[in-house]
Amino acid sequence: MADAQTPAAAPTPAPAPEPKPKVPFSPILLKHINEPDSHTLAHYAARGGYETAKAHIGITVPGDLIKLVDDSGLRGRGGAGFPTGKKWSFLAKGTGKPIYLAVNGDESEPGTFKDRYILERDPHQLVEGVILTCYAIGSKHAFIYLRGEFILGYQRLEAAVQEAKAKGYVGKKIFGKDADLTITVVRGAGAYICGEETGMLSSIEGGRGYPKIKPPFPAVSGLFGCPTIVNNVETISAVVHIVKNGPAWHKQWGTEKSPGFKIFCLSGAVKKPGIYEVPLGITMREMIEVHGGGLKDGRKLKAVIPGGLSAPVLTAEMVDKCTLDYESLASLGSMLGSGGITVLDEEVDMISAIYNTMRFYHHESCGQCTPCREGTGWLEKVAHRFHHNDGHQGDVELLGDIAKNMRGRTICVLADAAAMPMQSYLQHFKKDFEAKVKETAFVEKQRTYRDEITPTAKSITATGAGPSALDVGSNQGSR
Amino acid sequence: MTIKEVKIKIDDKEVTVPSNWTVIKACHENGVDVPHYCYHPDLSIAGNCRICMVGVKGAPRPVVACAQPITENMEVTTKGKDIEEARKSVMEFLLINHPLDCPECDQSGECRLQNYSYTYGRDHGRFHEEKVVKSKATMGPHVKYWGSRCIVCTRCVRFTDEVSGTGDLGVIYRGDKSEIALFPGKTLDNPLSLNTVDICPVGALVSSDFLFQTRVWNLHSRPSMCSDCAVGCNTRVDMDTKNAIKRIVPRRNDQVNKEWMCDYGRLSFPYVQENRLMKPMVDGKDAPYKDARKAAAELLQRKNTVVLVSAWNSNEAFAAVKEFVEQNLPGAGIAGYANTGRADEVFPGFTISGDKNPNRKGMREILGIDADASLKELAADKEAIGTLLLMHNIPGYAITPELKAVLDRTESVILMDLAKTDLLKYGNVAVALPTLSTFEKSGTFVNKDGIHQKFLPVMEPANFGRHEVEMMHDLGREIKSQADAGAAANGHGAAGGMKVKA
Repeated sequence: MADAQTPAAAPTPAPAPEPKPKVPFSPILLKHINEPDSHTLAHYAARGGYETAKAHIGITVPGDLIKLVDDSGLRGRGGAGFPTGKKWSFLAKGTGKPIYLAVNGDESEPGTFKDRYILERDPHQLVEGVILTCYAIGSKHAFIYLRGEFILGYQRLEAAVQEAKAKGYVGKKIFGKDADLTITVVRGAGAYICGEETGMLSSIEGGRGYPKIKPPFPAVSGLFGCPTIVNNVETISAVVHIVKNGPAWHKQWGTEKSPGFKIFCLSGAVKKPGIYEVPLGITMREMIEVHGGGLKDGRKLKAVIPGGLSAPVLTAEMVDKCTLDYESLASLGSMLGSGGITVLDEEVDMISAIYNTMRFYHHESCGQCTPCREGTGWLEKVAHRFHHNDGHQGDVELLGDIAKNMRGRTICVLADAAAMPMQSYLQHFKKDFEAKVKETAFVEKQRTYRDEITPTAKSITATGAGPSALDVGSNQGSR
Repeated sequence: MTIKEVKIKIDDKEVTVPSNWTVIKACHENGVDVPHYCYHPDLSIAGNCRICMVGVKGAPRPVVACAQPITENMEVTTKGKDIEEARKSVMEFLLINHPLDCPECDQSGECRLQNYSYTYGRDHGRFHEEKVVKSKATMGPHVKYWGSRCIVCTRCVRFTDEVSGTGDLGVIYRGDKSEIALFPGKTLDNPLSLNTVDICPVGALVSSDFLFQTRVWNLHSRPSMCSDCAVGCNTRVDMDTKNAIKRIVPRRNDQVNKEWMCDYGRLSFPYVQENRLMKPMVDGKDAPYKDARKAAAELLQRKNTVVLVSAWNSNEAFAAVKEFVEQNLPGAGIAGYANTGRADEVFPGFTISGDKNPNRKGMREILGIDADASLKELAADKEAIGTLLLMHNIPGYAITPELKAVLDRTESVILMDLAKTDLLKYGNVAVALPTLSTFEKSGTFVNKDGIHQKFLPVMEPANFGRHEVEMMHDLGREIKSQADAGAAANGHGAAGGMKVKA
C-alpha cells in the first residue's frame, strides 16, 4: 500500500527533468517472463542464474553489499520509495536476537499487478535476491508473504524454493559456505491491510493483520520482536541485478534522485494495458501514448491515478507536466506509489470512481484505529448518496472535513490512503460533486431514505434484480 | 536501557519523570488530564482509540500520548486548537455508529463516551446515514456483550491475553463491523472475567449479575477490602439507596491487587444479607444481650475452657482475645483454625490465593498461632473441654473433621458467628452471639504478603451484632463483676454493687 504522507497541495510545476544522456533500455526484471518454463531452475540457471549469489556468498563482506546497494540509489518499490540501502543500515545491531527478512508480496493495491509476474514467471530471480539480501543483512531466515489469491504464484515460488534447496542454494551451508538460510513462504488470507509492512508482520506472526505502532520500527523490533527488514518483491529482485552489474550500471537510468528502472502497471482506458518496465523519469504521456498505445477509441484523457488507488488523482493538465519519478509526482501532490497507473477517460463518472474507491477502503479498513474504522465507512456512505444523486447542501464540505480528520491520525496510513483520493477528487473535480448536490440541506428521514435507494430484500423479490437492485449500497454488510 | 530521571515540560510546567514512561503516564502522574479509552496502565499499549492526542514540540502533528516515549527536554502540550480539534474529530467518529442508547445502557452514568462527549463532543450530529448494527452475545456466566456500543478499544482482548492468560477474546470482522467475540469453543468463564466489564470504557461488556439492577447514579460507594482470600484486594462497595450491596469492584492498590479482582470476591457479598444470626441466643432461644453475656461469662469460668478463633478475625479481635484470656482466664488455652483452602489459582497477571482466610498471617503475628497446626493439635488432644468460646465469622463454612472432633468432646459452646450455620445445630451451643461481617465493622487484616490493611464499615449492620472487641471487653467486665459479686457474697469484697477496679 502507499506510504507517502504528501499533502494534496496545490500543484506546482514539475522541475525540469535532469538532462541525462539517454541510455537505451530493455526490460531487466521482466526480460524472460514470456519464455516457456521461465519459472524453472533449469531455465534460470541457463541464463546465468545463481551465479551472482555464488560469486558473493561467503566471499564478499556483507557490509560491502549493503554499501553497494546504497550507492546504487535503489528505492523501495512497494510504494513509499524509501532508499533500500539506508533501510538496511538502520538494522539494530548487537541485540543478540535473530534478524529476519520479510519480503512483501501481498500486492493488494488496486491497479497493481507487477509482483505477480515475478512470482509466477521468474520466482528464482526473487529467491536469488533473497539469498543476497539475507547475506548482506546477516539474516538466517526469510519470510516471503504472498497474498492468498496468488495460487499459481505460491505454487511456483514454493517449487522454486524447493529446487534451490535441493541444489544447496537454500538451507544449511549454502553454496558450500558458512552461511545458512531458511525461506518460508507464507500466504495471506486476502486482506489489503496485510500489505502494510507491520500489518504483514502481525499476519506472519499468526495474529490478526493489525498494523503496529511505530516506533519501534521493524528494523529495531519487527517480526517476533526481532530486527526485521521488510522489502517489496520487486526491490529484492532488483538487488540481484544491481549486485551483478554494480551501482553505476543502475544509475545510468532514471533521474538523480530516482535512479534505475521500475515496473509500471498500466490499466484503464488505454489500448494496450499491461506491465511495462521502463527507466524512471520518462514522461507520463510517453507511458500512456507510446507504451499504452494511447487511449481507447480515440477518447480524451480525463484523469490518471498514478500510483495505485490511494495516490491522489491527476488531471489531464497535470499529466502533461508529469514524469514518472518520485519527485515529480510528489511535486504534483501525488505519489509514484506502487506504480499502478490507472487511466480514466472522459466518459468516466468521477463520482462513480470515488464511490468505488471509498467502497474499497471501507471494506479493507482493519478497524483498529477510530478515525479509519469509522471514517472510511462514513466516506463511503456519503459517496454512495452522491452516486445516487442524493447529495445535499453541506455534503461536499462534510466529505472534505471527514477526509481531513482522518489524515495523519492513525497507526498506519490506510486512513490517509482513503482520505487522499477523496481530497484530490474534491480538489480537482469539485464541479462533479456540486452537480449532484440538491438545493436543500439533509432532512432527517433515515428510514425512508434506505427504502428509496437501497433495495431491501422485499423490493428485490418484488421487482427482480434490476440494475438498481444489484447495486447493494453501503449498508449491505452491516445487517 | 538504563532508566534515568529526565526533565520534561508539560504545558510549560517543568516536571521530572523516569525515562521509561510514556507521555500519558507522565501527564496522569503530574495531574494533567489526557482523555483515553484504549490505554490502561496495567495492559500493553494498543494506541487505537486515538483520543489521547497531545502536541509534542517538533512533531508535525499531534501524537498519541499513550504510545509516545519520553525523551529528554521534551515539550508536551495538552491544550491547543489542533489538539482539541483532533480529539473532537475522534469523538465524532466514535459516536457516529454508536447507538446512543444511554437510557437503557448499564454503563450510563459511568461511561467515558458520555464523559468525554461533554468536553469534546459536538453540539449537533453530521451523520445522516444508517448506523452499523453489531451483534449481542453472552460471553460467559457473568459477562454479556452489546456489540453496537463497542468502540473496539481491545482492552478486554488484551486483558484475556495478558492478565488472565486465557486468550478467550478476539476481534472478528473488519473495519466498522469489527466486534469482540469468543474464540470458537471458548467461554469467558475464567474467575477473572468480570474485570473485562470494569475495564470496558463503554457499555459493551456488562456484568450479567449487575445488569438492570439499578442505575449507577442511585448508588453510593464506600472503600472496603475483600475478605474472601489471603490477597486482600482493595475494593469499592456500591450500595443502593436501601443500603443493599449491589456490586463490588476493585480499587487500585499497586502493592496488592493493581486494579484487578477475582469473580469469587466480587460475588461473595450476598452472605451479608442472607440467613444472618440476628439476635443473641441462650439455649436455642432469643435472649437479650445482657442475659447472653451473663450466661457466657458463667460458662467461661468453668474448668477446661478453650478459646478457639478463626483466621477470619481481625488483628483487633485477636488482641482482645489475648487480653481477655490473660486478664480473666489465666488457665484457658487459645487455639486457632482456618477455613478450608485449595490450590492457588495462578494467572500471568494475577494470583487468586487458595488460602480462603483473610488474616492467617495476623493470627500468627498477634497470637503466635499457626491456624492449621493449632487445630490439629487441639483435635488430637483427648481431654474433654468444658467450655469452648468459638469465634467463627467464616461465611459458607463446611465443618471439618478436626473441628468436629473438638466439638464432640466439648460440653458447651459459646458461638460468635455471622449466620445461622451448621455450627449452631452441630455443637452444644449454649450461647450464640451475633457478630458483624467485614462490611459492617472495622479492623485490620494482614495479607499473604504481610501487608497490614485497614478496613472500615461500609454499611449499617444487618443484625444486632457487636464487634468482637466490644464483646470480649463486655465478657471481661462481666466475669470481673461476677467474681466481685461472689466475693461480696462471701463477705470478702466491698459491700453492695459493682466494684470498679482502678
